[in-house]
Amino acid sequence: METVNKRNFSIIAHVDHGKTTLSDRLLEHTNTVAQRVLEAQHLDSMDLERERGITIKSHPVTLVYPAKDGKTYQLNLADTPGHVDFSYEVSRSLAACEGALLLIDAAQGVEAQTVANAHLAEEQGLTIIPVINKIDLPSANLELCLQQLEDLLAIPAEDAILASGKTGIGIEDILEAVVTRIPPPRWSDYQATRCLVFDSVYDAYRGAIAFVRVFSGSIKPKDQVLMMSDHTRAEVKEVGVFTPAQKKVDSLEAGDVGYLVCNIKNPADIKVGDTITQNANPAEEMLPGYKEVRPMVFSGIYPVETNDFEKLKSSMGKLQLNDAAFSFQAESSVALGFGFRCGFLGLLHMEIIQERIRREYGVDIISTYPSVVYKVRKQNGDEIEVDNPINLPDPSHIETIFEPTIVAHIHVPNDCVGDILALVMEKRGSCERTDTLDGTRLILECILPLNEILVDFNDRLKSITRGYGSMEYELGEYRPAKLVKMDILVNGEPVDAFSSIVHAEKAHTKGGELCTKLADIIPPHLFKIAVQAAIGGKIVARDNVRTMRKDVTAKCYGGDISRKRKLLDKQKEGKRKMKNIGNVSIPPDAFIKVLKND
Amino acid sequence: MSKSKPKQASSEQETPLGLYLHVPFCSTSCDFCGFYQIQSDRKGILSYIDGVKRELELVDAGNRKLDTMFWGGGTPGLLPAADMLKVGAAITDELGMPSQEWTVEMAPSSVKRDKLEALKEAGVTRISMGIQSLNERLLDALGRQHSLKQIHKAYDLIREVGFHSVNVDLIFAIPTQTEEEWRADVRGALALEPDHLSTYCLTFEEDTALFIKLQQGKVSIDPDREARFYTAMWEEAQRGGFEQYEISNYARPGHACLHNVNTWKMAQWIGVGPSASSQWAGTRHTNTPDLKDWLAGLERGERGLVDRVVLNDGLLLEDSLIFGLRMNEGVDLAQLGQRFGRDLTQIALFDQLVEEGQAERVGPSLRLTPKGRMVADAVGEALLGSFG
Repeated sequence: METVNKRNFSIIAHVDHGKTTLSDRLLEHTNTVAQRVLEAQHLDSMDLERERGITIKSHPVTLVYPAKDGKTYQLNLADTPGHVDFSYEVSRSLAACEGALLLIDAAQGVEAQTVANAHLAEEQGLTIIPVINKIDLPSANLELCLQQLEDLLAIPAEDAILASGKTGIGIEDILEAVVTRIPPPRWSDYQATRCLVFDSVYDAYRGAIAFVRVFSGSIKPKDQVLMMSDHTRAEVKEVGVFTPAQKKVDSLEAGDVGYLVCNIKNPADIKVGDTITQNANPAEEMLPGYKEVRPMVFSGIYPVETNDFEKLKSSMGKLQLNDAAFSFQAESSVALGFGFRCGFLGLLHMEIIQERIRREYGVDIISTYPSVVYKVRKQNGDEIEVDNPINLPDPSHIETIFEPTIVAHIHVPNDCVGDILALVMEKRGSCERTDTLDGTRLILECILPLNEILVDFNDRLKSITRGYGSMEYELGEYRPAKLVKMDILVNGEPVDAFSSIVHAEKAHTKGGELCTKLADIIPPHLFKIAVQAAIGGKIVARDNVRTMRKDVTAKCYGGDISRKRKLLDKQKEGKRKMKNIGNVSIPPDAFIKVLKND
Repeated sequence: MSKSKPKQASSEQETPLGLYLHVPFCSTSCDFCGFYQIQSDRKGILSYIDGVKRELELVDAGNRKLDTMFWGGGTPGLLPAADMLKVGAAITDELGMPSQEWTVEMAPSSVKRDKLEALKEAGVTRISMGIQSLNERLLDALGRQHSLKQIHKAYDLIREVGFHSVNVDLIFAIPTQTEEEWRADVRGALALEPDHLSTYCLTFEEDTALFIKLQQGKVSIDPDREARFYTAMWEEAQRGGFEQYEISNYARPGHACLHNVNTWKMAQWIGVGPSASSQWAGTRHTNTPDLKDWLAGLERGERGLVDRVVLNDGLLLEDSLIFGLRMNEGVDLAQLGQRFGRDLTQIALFDQLVEEGQAERVGPSLRLTPKGRMVADAVGEALLGSFG
């Protein structure tokens, strides 16, 4: 097909604005997937993605559309991840397109991520087609949405297409707009082959598979190619397109989206954002926007059963094959034994990985308090990075600790501004700017320490604003902060897995909260057990685990001692599933529960 | 067997010997009962009596004589008077008349004058009657097949025929039962003036109708409520002049059930009948809990095939502690230390129990306080595997 008859586009939206349902309708309308095989949310194939209604991996698909102008077009759709943790992935998926459908929920209006994604798309030079979705909802407020489009995004209201992924209204209009409004593939006349890698997956038989958008030139099996970020060479084994199933083709041409199998086994060698070119006639410049993805949040993951260490290791290895942003390396904890220090893009990413290990690989795990990466300048002038509280040097050796910050854009209803500002203050943040969003909402630009928003910021924001508030953020700079390491002692023994780095002024409150929570999560024990928070050996808070009130059963008659022993043994077995620290049984979910706000 | 193990034989001479007879027949099945029981019929009863005789032939008691005997079930009282006499004679012919105590369990609905007279004639000293509750509504809730009237009639009859000791059993923490109703039950039972009172907190045994209700969420377990009921029981017993001597057992002075006490002190006992357990001749084992299988086994000359454990001092010590601490008098650590050749003076767990107010030391003995008794299973669990 001629390059001019190809269109590459993506769908961007705030979480839950109906992106995946709309994609499904597009697939259905173009007969890409027959209706009877179209499961609800066809493109989100991972169980977890379906349950949470979010997209984790990109799911490209090629549609064939006979337009009203009589020509047949090839439309390449990239369904992008929809969460702030995956914003780099989003940006690479967008970079593979010339246009984007910007989806707005007719009942919800423009949200923080809508704005953030629209900006991302603009930065990539994409043509934006605004789509007001879910217009069939009784609570739809078209007027407000159109007003917001003009006010917030500077997009003319008349550009908007009214649609419903549920009923199919507007689908034809959207497809026509993709053909007529989005320009044909850009940079197709560049003198050398350039393919952008926007995702990768691992296949047990074929090795690492790169998802690519070909910008110029072509690529086919047996080509010798060059990865421009690190100059590794490889031979192409197979190329293909997404229907959405992978389908082998002879070659990929400029404007195509497809996949590439090389003689590369290790997925880490295929970097998202990299440019692939022909080794014989290499491009001189990489496609713009490549960067190394670095984990932002770290946490230890340990098997509940010590014997599961190898199983956990291999599960993590397999997960990493499809998720290069996830990193892990062996570490050990006094409390938890042998496990791994893992790096994640954010808290959602962390939860997803943990959930997948539990569910898909059946390994019971516990995770430690998450940490960000601190920069520590020592007295002797050395500067080190610390992603695990236990590695924080002795306070006497520390000159300054620097912590990462974020710049957050928070959308809040007017009547909640006071409470949100109080929350920002509580989280050691500052509000730098306030903009009016519309008659009812404001945008607050805030600088916050990353570690303060890790655990419950988003939940609190949602609860204060009754679900109407939203937030997106980008990384800010490192800044000095008065931080200390807080240890948690259970029955007098420090449990390293619960150690955290906290702001000195918040240590008392935080220590108290942690102790109370933990004391509540640990089931009643026979003996009194203290849970204490300590800073540098000084106890700052304490609470007691409940002592057992009643644990006695009658009936041991007729002399069946063995039976009674078995019952006691069964009771004991229940505790073996817990992590025993000293003589205290801590349930495996305690470690994650203490992090959650109820 | 005792000849080939002279050392074992000598210790067997020192510890009391009991016999537990399991009579598996019941007229109906109670919602809460997890013991092995079946409906009775003539043919079944005859084969059972035959089995008891066969089993006794297989037991080599040497020249040992019984100290205590306990007939439980099921409903031993369901056997016709003549059959009871046959079974009784079969045992006493083989092992002698129990020198200390002979208990037979009866259900109010099966208490008849001729049976009581036969039992008394045979030498039974103690009758234990499961009355469960004195509240009609709760009796219904338990699926029991006797009325208040039957309870009183049966109790009067037992007293009239005259036995050394009479026990009544109550169940508490029955779904919907209030603490006041429970106190009324205890007072009502004490008003009968029995010699012994056993009170069992309702447990949900697997394979019972109640357990199914629990799983279906129709009833629930509330440990705090159960704890309140235990405390209420202690108060009422004390008020009525009864002394608690074990988690579930109360007696007037001199009326504790010796058979059970010997069991908890890890003496020896021979279990006869399907599902009966033995601790005898260096092993602990249980008969198969099925009348047919039990008979078939005896036919082949086999008994006690389930949960066979070879006894050793460590295990016996551990169980002496686990079960001994359930008794109010506790355990005599010096004596146990001597019996099993272990030094029990410096056990950290005991110190901690004392420190936390769950146990106290009285001379060489360690005993649980009321607070500790309430968590006796947790204490047992902590002891499990520490000596054995």
